[in-house]
Amino acid sequence: MQASEGQFEEIVKRFVELKDTSELMLDLAYSSLMFNSRELAEEVQLLEEYVDKLHTEFELLTLSSNFKKEDAKGFLGLIRLGVAAEKIADAAAEIAEVVLRGIEPHAVLKLTIREAEETIVHAHIDEKSPLANKTLKEIHLPEETGMRVLAIRREGKCLRPKPDSKIEAGDTLIVSGYAEGEEDLKRMASPDG
Amino acid sequence: MPHHEKVKYRPVPVSDLFLEMKNLSELMIDLAYSAALFNDKDLAEDVIELEKRVDTLAYQLEMTIMIAARDPRDAEALTGISTVASAADKISDAAADIAAIVTQNIGVHPIASEIFEKVEEHLAKAKVADKSPLAGKSISELDLAAKMGVDLIAIRRNTDWMINPHETERIREGDVVIARGVSSGIKQFTKFAEGSSVKAWGEA
Repeated sequence: MQASEGQFEEIVKRFVELKDTSELMLDLAYSSLMFNSRELAEEVQLLEEYVDKLHTEFELLTLSSNFKKEDAKGFLGLIRLGVAAEKIADAAAEIAEVVLRGIEPHAVLKLTIREAEETIVHAHIDEKSPLANKTLKEIHLPEETGMRVLAIRREGKCLRPKPDSKIEAGDTLIVSGYAEGEEDLKRMASPDG
Repeated sequence: MPHHEKVKYRPVPVSDLFLEMKNLSELMIDLAYSAALFNDKDLAEDVIELEKRVDTLAYQLEMTIMIAARDPRDAEALTGISTVASAADKISDAAADIAAIVTQNIGVHPIASEIFEKVEEHLAKAKVADKSPLAGKSISELDLAAKMGVDLIAIRRNTDWMINPHETERIREGDVVIARGVSSGIKQFTKFAEGSSVKAWGEA
C-alpha cells in the first residue's frame, strides 16, 4: 500500500501551518523589538510552544504514512523542511527574549522606526464592521489608515495575515502604524463603538 | 573542504550590518522554501551563496560591537544587538538547510510538491534582457501587482542585493530580479524580463 493523496494533503496542510506560524513569530519578534512590547514578545513565546506541538504532529503524520522504500527520500525532504521551520521559530523566540529580559532595545534594533508616533493597536471586529467577511487585499488598510496588520487573533489562535486572509466578525486584528490612523481603524472595526 | 574567506574588520556602521543581515536572512527563507517546494536548483544555489555572505556579516558585526562597548551600559545595550544578530544568522542557517534538500538531491516528495503548487506562492528569478520592456522602468511605473499579481521582492545588481526595493528604483538591463506571486503571473513576468514575451507590455 502507498500513501494516499489524502494523506499527502494532510501532511502539506500541517506543514503550511507550521511554516506560516514560524514566519508569523519572526514578524512579531521583530515588531516586539521595534515597539519594545512585552505583549508581542509574550505572544511569540506562546506561539513557540504551539509550534513545538505542530512540529511533532507533522512528524508523526509524515512518518506514519505507508511509504515505499523508493519514496523514502521524498519523505526525508519533508521531515527536513519541518526541522528548518522549527529552527526559524526558535530563532524568533530568541529575538523576543531580548525584550522579555528587560533589555531596552538599542536604536539599531528599532530599525527604521520613525520618530513619529507609531504604535500597536488591537482592533476587535464587530458583526457590523464593514471589514468583516472581506480579505486583507480588499480592505486596503495601509492606504486607508496607514496601518499594517501584524497578526489576526481568532478563537485563541494567532494567524499570519496573507493577502487572501478573510477577516471574520469576532477577530481581533493586531495592527501597527501611526497613531493618527488608530481612530479611523477602530471606527471601521466597530462602527457602534 | 569548503573555502573560508578570512574576515577582516571593516569600519561599517552596526546599523548597516544588522539591517543587511536581517534583510538577507528573511529573503533567504522565501528563496529557500520556493527552491525546495518547487525543486528549483538555481534558487537553492543562491541561498547557499547568501548564507556565506551572512556568515561574514555576522563576524564583522561582532567585531564592531566589541569595539563599540566602552562601559557596562554600552555592554547591556549591545548585547541585545548581538543576540538578535545571532538569531538572524541561525535563520540563514535554517534557510541553507532547506536549500540543501535540493542541492543534495534529496528533494521533497513530488506528490507533496504538486499540492504545494496549489496552495503556496511561487518565487521566480529572471535576468533582465536588453530588449526587455522592464528595462529602464521604475517599479511604480511597472505596477506589477495590478497588472499580473506579482510583487518584486529583490533585485541583484552585480553583487549587491536590494531587498524590497523602493518604488522609484529603476530596473536596469542585466539586473537579476526576484518576484513572488501567483504561478501564471510569475510565468508572464519571467517572459517579459527575459524579453521572450510574444505580447507587448501594454497588453499585459
